[in-house]
Amino acid sequence: MVNMRLSNITKKYGKIFAADGFNLDVEDGEYVTILGPTGAGKTTILKIIAGLIDQDSGEVYIGERCVDDLPPENREIALLTQGYSLFPHMNVWENTIFAPTVHGWNEKKIEVIGKEMLNMVRLMDRVDAYPRELSGGMKQRNALARALASNAKVLLLDEPLRALDARLRIDLRYELRRLVKDLGITTIHVTHDQEEALTISDKIVVMRKGKVEQVGNPYEIFERPTNIFVAHFVGEANFVEVVITKKSSDKMEMIDRSGRTIISKPQDFDVGKKVIVGIKTEHTAIEKGEKPGTNTFLGKIQRIMFLGKYVSIEVKLEEGKKLHVKIPTSIGTAFKENMLVTVIFAPDRLFIFDYPEKGLEKELEVE
Amino acid sequence: MKLTKKLSDLFAKRSARRGWNAFIIFFFALFVLLPTIYVLSYIVTDWGVISTDVLSDTNSVDLSWSEYTEADFLEYEVHKSTVSNFNLTETTLAFEIDNNKTTHTVLMGLSPSTIYYFKIGVNTSSRIIHSNEVNTTGYYETPPPSFEIILYEPIVTKTESLIYHCLWISFEIAAIVTIIDFIAGLPMAWMLVRKEFRGKRFFDTFLDMPLAVPTAALGFSTALFWAVTPGILSPPGSLNLLSSPMLLIIVLHIVFSYPYMVRSLAAILQEIDINYEIAGETCGASRLTAARTITLPLFRAGLVTGIILCFARSLSETGGTMVALATLGSMEKTGPVLIGTWKHVAKYNPNLVPALAFTSIVLILLALVLLVMVKIIVTKVKLPLKKVWPRPEKFLSKGLPPKLGNLFTFIFLLFIVLIPSFFIFSYVATAEPATEIGWGGFWSSLYYSFLVATIITVIDLALGIPMAILIVRGKSKKLGHVLDTLINVPLIVPTAALGFSLGLFWSTQFSFLSSPLLLIIFAHVAFTYPLVVRNVAGALEETDVVYEETARTLGAKPIQVFRKVMLPMIRPSILAGAIMAFTRSLGETGATLAVSPEAITAPVYIVRLIKDHQAYYQAGLACIILIAVSYCAMLLLRYITKKAR
Repeated sequence: MVNMRLSNITKKYGKIFAADGFNLDVEDGEYVTILGPTGAGKTTILKIIAGLIDQDSGEVYIGERCVDDLPPENREIALLTQGYSLFPHMNVWENTIFAPTVHGWNEKKIEVIGKEMLNMVRLMDRVDAYPRELSGGMKQRNALARALASNAKVLLLDEPLRALDARLRIDLRYELRRLVKDLGITTIHVTHDQEEALTISDKIVVMRKGKVEQVGNPYEIFERPTNIFVAHFVGEANFVEVVITKKSSDKMEMIDRSGRTIISKPQDFDVGKKVIVGIKTEHTAIEKGEKPGTNTFLGKIQRIMFLGKYVSIEVKLEEGKKLHVKIPTSIGTAFKENMLVTVIFAPDRLFIFDYPEKGLEKELEVE
Repeated sequence: MKLTKKLSDLFAKRSARRGWNAFIIFFFALFVLLPTIYVLSYIVTDWGVISTDVLSDTNSVDLSWSEYTEADFLEYEVHKSTVSNFNLTETTLAFEIDNNKTTHTVLMGLSPSTIYYFKIGVNTSSRIIHSNEVNTTGYYETPPPSFEIILYEPIVTKTESLIYHCLWISFEIAAIVTIIDFIAGLPMAWMLVRKEFRGKRFFDTFLDMPLAVPTAALGFSTALFWAVTPGILSPPGSLNLLSSPMLLIIVLHIVFSYPYMVRSLAAILQEIDINYEIAGETCGASRLTAARTITLPLFRAGLVTGIILCFARSLSETGGTMVALATLGSMEKTGPVLIGTWKHVAKYNPNLVPALAFTSIVLILLALVLLVMVKIIVTKVKLPLKKVWPRPEKFLSKGLPPKLGNLFTFIFLLFIVLIPSFFIFSYVATAEPATEIGWGGFWSSLYYSFLVATIITVIDLALGIPMAILIVRGKSKKLGHVLDTLINVPLIVPTAALGFSLGLFWSTQFSFLSSPLLLIIFAHVAFTYPLVVRNVAGALEETDVVYEETARTLGAKPIQVFRKVMLPMIRPSILAGAIMAFTRSLGETGATLAVSPEAITAPVYIVRLIKDHQAYYQAGLACIILIAVSYCAMLLLRYITKKAR
């Protein structure tokens, strides 16, 4: 229906930046997720797009038009808030036809649109129910129907699945995407749930402290994070501080503080430079006993957490550092606490990042 | 339809909304706040007059005389002289009174070392009649019956000490009433919120009933129930117990302030999670200990509201107090009663204005200072709630003691609040029917009262709801805070002082606007406006702004958001505010008297019936009609707001 662009949006609350030079391009009909920890400024961005908050600087374009001087009601967007905010004094039908009614469309058209939307979200049999009589999933669907009935060109979803049970959340994810993709509406979906973002989006924007950390499709975000924060926030990762010692055309050699050698594919860093090596916990292997060689870390199992399909194993190295390994449960059962193990980093799965100015700890802070 | 469309288009513009907000603030400042405290400017501009007329060592004298009833009446002349057996001349004439019903006046600025002599002359179309002579020596001889007009024994007091005396009584009573309200109100609030029992809903409704009764009627009813009432046949059930004016006023003020205390305490108790208390009990605290040490300290906000409401209400009350005192036959006065009485006289004797201004100023300032002090004391001072006495508290927590407590609360409500409120029915049912004065005056006063109450309710709603929105949803939080505090001022200021101040403001600054009806409307708006704003702002604070935001993004213009989303959600509070404003206006006496002595509203009429004419049966009947009509009006209001979807 329409493309959208945010250009250099900045919004400050006191000394805190809720948006700090935020840029975003959304193509026509694209499903974009803004992923970030709580307090990253995600909701602020949505509200700025909606016109509910005025940005300090920067522009919002919907289509080719700059909408900064338009009030919310003229921006042709629809916002679905966290708690859905269905009007408590209206039933399902009245909620659904709210936008057509305030637009003053003729009654026939309202009737047609209302029925179409409610059929789409399968709520036609509950038209007389009030929000308090609906289950969480029904409320979510009703709110969606209400938003879609407004004929909006851009749909803004603020944690639309947060208030639902875990199981329902997963089911509704796909349904949500299918519905808006079928209608071809440009959608911006805000969430702090990385799994949700990875499964639902055409494009993910990882956001922290009002800034864009990385933009890309789910695969890129997960497999090729461009910085430590993204690697850490989207899926878990292990990080080790190292110094580059050797570099050749097919490999790069590094050494960590305890003198272990780590080898990776060559990357664009100079010999002698202090960098951070990272690897997703899913790509970290573990073996019983001591295994000599490069990319290996000897340690003791401190804790084993059962996650259902996977187990997460926490290994404490001699110097006190902890590494995490995520392996399928079928293999994981072989490991016990206090067992001596070797953790192995696969050389072709390693990320290498610049050493952060404020140190590794600071960079890993989520909030 | 076209108009609503135009309006909603207009309000979609930011500049239009900004203009509207500016208008709301302007209205509040000019029509509510400024007139309320205008009298304070007297300190600066007319302090000289106040200090010579009031604060210097001068006396005032109360004169009253028998009424001249012939049709050829033109005016009374009040004469003053420093020589005895004086003749009525131009030089002895103090002022004239052109209403033959006004047979009471006050003169001020009399030197205590001089003996003054007074006479009343009556000007008729054919002759001049003069009364007996009285003086300030304290010697009074009953005049021979040859005088057509009899001047009664004058009352001489030192002006300054009279003012202080009346104000002191007011504050004393307000403090005692507030304390009793709190002690008896706390268990009641507790019962209403934390206990489930049969008939709780009725109980809940009963509690508010005194609020629907105009205070003038309450005053008469309560006095009949409690007091020794000379000259009135005591109806069956009357206690004939109290002869002290102080005690009578205290019981009366409890009747109408108690519901306020219970309501504000209950409101805050509702907010406090019972789980804290349960957690305390699972840790081994007895129920009383848990309630006292855990819930009570969380209570402060409610306590402040309750205390301020009760205190201000008691400090303000005029009509009921006047009626109760008159029924008792007492000459005692509270601050507002003094203002009401003097204002009535000041119409003919403008020399009273400085004294009136001074009384109002002191009343307003003390009320404001007290407001601040109560806030500080209740929020800052540590209550001694930490210490625990496990054994006695355990004993008091179970079995008989709590039951006795509840019983006591129930008895208090029944005998102190409810029965006195409606005792008047018993009186009217048993008293000898007598109609001394025609009913025409009452009907027109009733019409006048309803006209005023309706107009001010409409104004309050039209301008109070936007104010509440501005306070709660306004862009500037600071402005919201400031307005929020200022809104309370007219609520604290005693209405008699408010009325005097407001009358002064309009008649001196915009004299072309000062018709009695307009003035009364302005005065009633000033003290009812905060009630509507408070109620609506409270409801708005409870309502999540997200509904309005969602509606905006779905394409609703600001006016549509207001009509379709906000209004339906806060309707109950709007109704509550409207009922409060309406009934308060209907029952108000003090402000009405202080603004304009000529405007006869229904409560003022009832006060006159009792005070000036001793027409008790008729007053009783008028009270019942007023109660019935205001009750119907409340139902009607409820019906209208429900229907106006």
